[in-house]
Amino acid sequence: MTGMHSIIAGLVGPWILAAGLVTAEPAAAPAGAAAQPEYAPVVGVSREDKEKAAMLEEAVAHKVARDYEHIVWAYGVLWGLFALYGVYLWRRGARLRADVDELRKAIDARGKA
Amino acid sequence: MRLWRQTWLLTRSDLRQELRDRELVLVAGLFSLLLVAMFAISFTALPAGNNHRVVLPGLLWMSVAFVGVLTLTRIFDREREADTLRALLAAPVDRLAIYLSKAAVTLIILLTSCALLVPGLALLFPELRMIVEQPAAAGLMLVLGSLGFTAVGAVFAAGLATGSGKNVLISVILYPLTTPVLMFDIVATRALLERHPDVWGYVGRLAALDAILLAVGALLFESIVVGVGRTAERRAS
Amino acid sequence: MRALPYALFIAAAAIFPMAPVRVFLETPNERTMGTAFKIFFFHVPMAWIFMLLAVVCGVAAGIELRRRSRRAAAVARASAEVSFLCGAGVLLTGPIWGNATWGEPWTGDARQMTTALLWLVVASYLLVRQYGGPSSRRLAAGLAIFGAVDVPIIYYAVKIWKTLHPTTDVVTTLPPSMRAALWPALCALLLVSLGLVIVRTRQVALEADLDEAWVELDRQAQGVTA
Repeated sequence: MTGMHSIIAGLVGPWILAAGLVTAEPAAAPAGAAAQPEYAPVVGVSREDKEKAAMLEEAVAHKVARDYEHIVWAYGVLWGLFALYGVYLWRRGARLRADVDELRKAIDARGKA
Repeated sequence: MRLWRQTWLLTRSDLRQELRDRELVLVAGLFSLLLVAMFAISFTALPAGNNHRVVLPGLLWMSVAFVGVLTLTRIFDREREADTLRALLAAPVDRLAIYLSKAAVTLIILLTSCALLVPGLALLFPELRMIVEQPAAAGLMLVLGSLGFTAVGAVFAAGLATGSGKNVLISVILYPLTTPVLMFDIVATRALLERHPDVWGYVGRLAALDAILLAVGALLFESIVVGVGRTAERRAS
Repeated sequence: MRALPYALFIAAAAIFPMAPVRVFLETPNERTMGTAFKIFFFHVPMAWIFMLLAVVCGVAAGIELRRRSRRAAAVARASAEVSFLCGAGVLLTGPIWGNATWGEPWTGDARQMTTALLWLVVASYLLVRQYGGPSSRRLAAGLAIFGAVDVPIIYYAVKIWKTLHPTTDVVTTLPPSMRAALWPALCALLLVSLGLVIVRTRQVALEADLDEAWVELDRQAQGVTA
């Protein structure tokens, strides 16, 4: 399951991060950037915002992974049940076929006698 | 009119026998007392107040269900011992009258045991004493709730009595089938205990459910107990 | 006619791949329930099929009682078995979904209770049918009919108890994309269930015929020796 966690985290992570960047940008943009051309500040987010985003991302990844685990279980149970019933029917059918053959043999034996 | 007359006659004869030996009433009554005693052992530690109001309806109707199965089994066992049910079914009596009379007798026995159950439970759980505030609603609820149970029960108990009779099956059949009745009963009783303004609405729903169950029971009784109709697939022999 | 169940299985197999694609790739996540909502697409059709087959069983039992039809008896038994299976599926996936959404596998909510109760009725039908012997046939049929009558009552019971279970109208208020994902799952499950019912019906009928044939053979053998 850990493999799945990391894959999901890998899939989901960048999007969350991007979303965090987009929403965080207006608030974090320095107001005096135009006034000081020689000083090029890092455009983006503060450390707190990044940490918050990382935390959210982790929470979402965890929730998604947990939900996926539930889904895998649910679907497994469903199709497992159907498969079990299929096997049951199959065995029953085999037994019935054997019974029919036996009956046929008995009738043949009677016919010869 | 003939149906009601026959039902009345059959019920009266059953009740006369009951008055003579008092077996059903005594067994059902003692069993009710035993149930109350068992509840007393199990639930005395339960803190009073809201808890009681939540637990009480369930205890009451569970007891009715237990007593009901006991009574139904006994009523039809008695018929089987004397082989009177077969004779009754062969007699020129409307089968519907048999169903109704058996249901009526069971209902009467159940109500007698309720007369022990309710005071017994009220002794244990003071919350139940408030039903004297609404005696009409409470009484009607007891009658309708027990009736719903008997309407289903009489059909299957009679069916088991005429068949090879595995009486163990009756609880397996009756409890799942009567759970809707029990649920309606419990909701109505809780409404009563909580002094819900729409108690009569709940009692009305209970009555509607009883009507449905009685109708289905009356429709099915004959075909389950004796079997009707012709064979659709005639076997070439 | 012989190949009908196989045709149904093949059709189901053809439809089935649409379901996961639609459910997992094309459907948005439900806002409050998140990814676990995807269980819905099999849980709900399964519940419908469970109820449908319980009713089919009741109707077939009614015909069995009225006309003493052995064919109807076989249908009743087969649909009860598949209904039992679907009910088990509903009752198992429900708590898994509940555990993901409410953080609690069993909330004791009215619909869960009533599904469980109907499932118990179906189970008791199968039990009586299996162990009651030939004389309890009619009894089992009556049980199935009462069970079918109970279905709407149980449904109504849900409306009386106000609960935290998603209400009955969840399907009509579903966004179109979600509804589009529901149909393939429903069709696939329905076709598989019908195929299973048909296969099982034939088996039950064959079993009864075989029993009779053996008895007949024995009778003739005794007639010959006597």
